[in-house]
Amino acid sequence: MTEPLETAERTRREGTHLLVRAGEYACALPLAAVRRVVRAVTVHPLPGAAGELEGLAEFGGEPLPVLNLGRLVNSPPGANPAFPVTVVVWVGPAGAREMVGLNADAALEVVHVADESLVAGDGGLLLGEAPVGGEVVRVLNLEALGREA
Amino acid sequence: MSAPASGLLLLRRAGGVWGVASAAVVGLAARGGGYRISVGESALAADEILGVVDGLRVHPPAPVLRRFWPEALDGLAVHGRMPVVVVDPRCPPAALRFNEGEGVNEGRE
Repeated sequence: MTEPLETAERTRREGTHLLVRAGEYACALPLAAVRRVVRAVTVHPLPGAAGELEGLAEFGGEPLPVLNLGRLVNSPPGANPAFPVTVVVWVGPAGAREMVGLNADAALEVVHVADESLVAGDGGLLLGEAPVGGEVVRVLNLEALGREA
Repeated sequence: MSAPASGLLLLRRAGGVWGVASAAVVGLAARGGGYRISVGESALAADEILGVVDGLRVHPPAPVLRRFWPEALDGLAVHGRMPVVVVDPRCPPAALRFNEGEGVNEGRE
């Protein structure tokens, strides 16, 4: 009798996301992949890197590649953020995950995104779009980010 | 997975800290306010030499890094809360290559 309840709980857990602002877009990051949200870390640029890669930082004694979330999702830039953050996340498949920082304009709230509300993903980083609180948010698949291009 | 590295020469260049195996270094000379580091048949440019350190944990380069930064590298490490890019001395990133025809300050920020 407990199986349907466990399934429902797992489904709900998997649908729980951290909503962040990146430029003009709101993006939903799977909460299970979020390790920490911190004030924007100091980044050391890598000459010749693509625009999505802001550079390297140190986090917990480990080197941390830091990506610009707005550039990753092709968001038009928003107003200057008042409290920019770095969201430290796990990316890549479970057996080979890596820690990455995502620079964003703000961390907003934790929301639930139901699978059935998702539409039109790109098969990669963009899992799909879904309406949340009167706004269409981009739901991201962070596993895809860690795959080789 | 990471492995402790023995003898990394740390240098500052283009706003970052870089590491190269000190065993690969065959010469070091001050040039134009910076340094020229001879490694085999090529030369690296540095704004500042930070010293040689032992035992840094070098992490293999992550797929995300390779995806967005096309340079070859041996790995990443941290020294004194600074991220360190450990380079392959046979194939250094463009920002580290010493151009014999120009001043060493070309890559400075």
